[in-house]
Amino acid sequence: MKEASPLAHSVFEVILWLFILASVSIMAYQLYRNTTLGNSLQESLDELIQTQQITPQLALQVLLQFDKAINMALANRVRNRVNFRGSLNTYRFCDNVWTFVLNDVEFREVTDLVKVDKVKIVACDGKSESTQNKNDK
Amino acid sequence: MLTNTGPVGKLYLSIIDDVIESMRELFTDEGLEDRVLDDLRHIWESKMMQSKAMEDYRKNNINSSNFVLQLPANYNRTNQELTASVVIPASQNIRSFPMKNNSGILPTFSLPAGLSYPVQIPAGVTLQTASGQLYKVNVPVVVTQAPAGQPPVSRPAQVIERREAPNPPPHASRPPPREAEPLSVPAASDKQPPHTQTSCPPAKESALPQQPLAPPAETSRPPGARSPQPEVPPGESEPTPPPEPVNLSMSASPCSQLLDQISTEEALTQTGQLRTSDIDDILKEVIEEERGKAEMARKTVNHSEADLGLDLDYNYSELSDIVQLDGAAGNSDMEEEEAVSLEDNDFLGIINAEAIKALQEGGGSSDCNSISSSSDDEAADELTNVEDEDPLNSGDDVVEQDIPDLFDTDNVIVCQYDKIHRSKNRWKFHLKDGVMCYGGRDYIFSKAVGEAEW
Repeated sequence: MKEASPLAHSVFEVILWLFILASVSIMAYQLYRNTTLGNSLQESLDELIQTQQITPQLALQVLLQFDKAINMALANRVRNRVNFRGSLNTYRFCDNVWTFVLNDVEFREVTDLVKVDKVKIVACDGKSESTQNKNDK
Repeated sequence: MLTNTGPVGKLYLSIIDDVIESMRELFTDEGLEDRVLDDLRHIWESKMMQSKAMEDYRKNNINSSNFVLQLPANYNRTNQELTASVVIPASQNIRSFPMKNNSGILPTFSLPAGLSYPVQIPAGVTLQTASGQLYKVNVPVVVTQAPAGQPPVSRPAQVIERREAPNPPPHASRPPPREAEPLSVPAASDKQPPHTQTSCPPAKESALPQQPLAPPAETSRPPGARSPQPEVPPGESEPTPPPEPVNLSMSASPCSQLLDQISTEEALTQTGQLRTSDIDDILKEVIEEERGKAEMARKTVNHSEADLGLDLDYNYSELSDIVQLDGAAGNSDMEEEEAVSLEDNDFLGIINAEAIKALQEGGGSSDCNSISSSSDDEAADELTNVEDEDPLNSGDDVVEQDIPDLFDTDNVIVCQYDKIHRSKNRWKFHLKDGVMCYGGRDYIFSKAVGEAEW
């Protein structure tokens, strides 16, 4: 028993450490900063920085927190499926980021349909569990 | 479509909540007040609300509307027929809409689809913001519909002050809880509505953009005139207004509320006309004030440019002549006139002309040379050269209007990919957790599957 307990203890520690690591460093792409929500947050933070109400470092912390919040929200709180079809104009794969430009696309959901003449898709790797923070335009 | 209904707005607001709350401790650790965090929240929310991304959120809340009105319990639609004005009935369930008063941003509202504009909010109504703040409308408010995308107009504070100052003190003849007053009574009652003071919170005052009706105009009306009336006849109503931001226009009526409205239509139209004329007068006053200020500012600028104690009118006329002539396209008659006028002018007048041209064209050395000389011929030649260069330089002008439009209509989907597959020229996309911005509106999906041919 005495021999087993140190081993169990270490395994437990390893698991605990993994758990902590996972909880602290969840996948938080900075990808979503270029959305309406992200851009308006950045603008708001810029205003506060200009009036010297907050420091740029604090603003960065806010953005990091925003990344986590929006990643979690999208992963957990959104549940709908969309189909689309169009013609591919350009494609690019660089740094594990796909960038497509599609033309004449129809987005179809259960209820309705949206037609778009041009759309740009920027997609980061969704399967990787790494903790990379990807910057995207 | 694509979760562009209420859920998008709700999701965004929940994300905002998460971020703000999680930053609260950090802000406190940094020694910052809560006010800073609240400011950030307000600014962020107001930007989101103003953007079309939340349009559907507003739209969905319009079937219910976007601000809470606590109307008297027995306030019902029957009064509409009597009053010939549109009132927000209590039956409409209205959700709250954030009023960003702290940051000085004018709140915009969307009103129920079933309402027709203009809408009159009677006094005694309480507005509730999303943050729970209550603003009581002590004076009837007329809500007019502004064109889509029109930013709220910020009225000069002076106007607001002017309006507030002459407000007579509130009469005590009315019981404070106006909400309790029955509306159906009005047909019988003929009481004189008291003056109501514009005691709305200052933030509410800042929300009044367009037609500030100064009470002086209102008080000039005989006290016997009743009711808060519609500004516009109901014929102007629109059946289903789109969810556009609406600017509140405040009509400070000496009569208080629609509650008292007895309304014969005559009384209404009369007072409506009176009110309209008052509105026009007040608008004219405001416009003239603004013009006067602009002219004063301009004249002081002209004076500083002259740099001597020249007569302001003289300077202004010279400058205006020259500015106009520069704008003309190389008309020979204009040149002659200009040369003649220059010959008659003072040395300083020439300097001013050249200085302005230099500013306009950004040309350096030649203008400096002409400025140093006092001969009219050289000035005339310079003018000729300037005019010849104008069409050439105009080609350098960059039309920047297109660029922002291009960016605005650039529809971007920001997402993650599960699998991207290609077979010859057929591509298949398996995407997830995406946010799409299309036409300014936002859509969200958890999974997207697509095909495209390259």
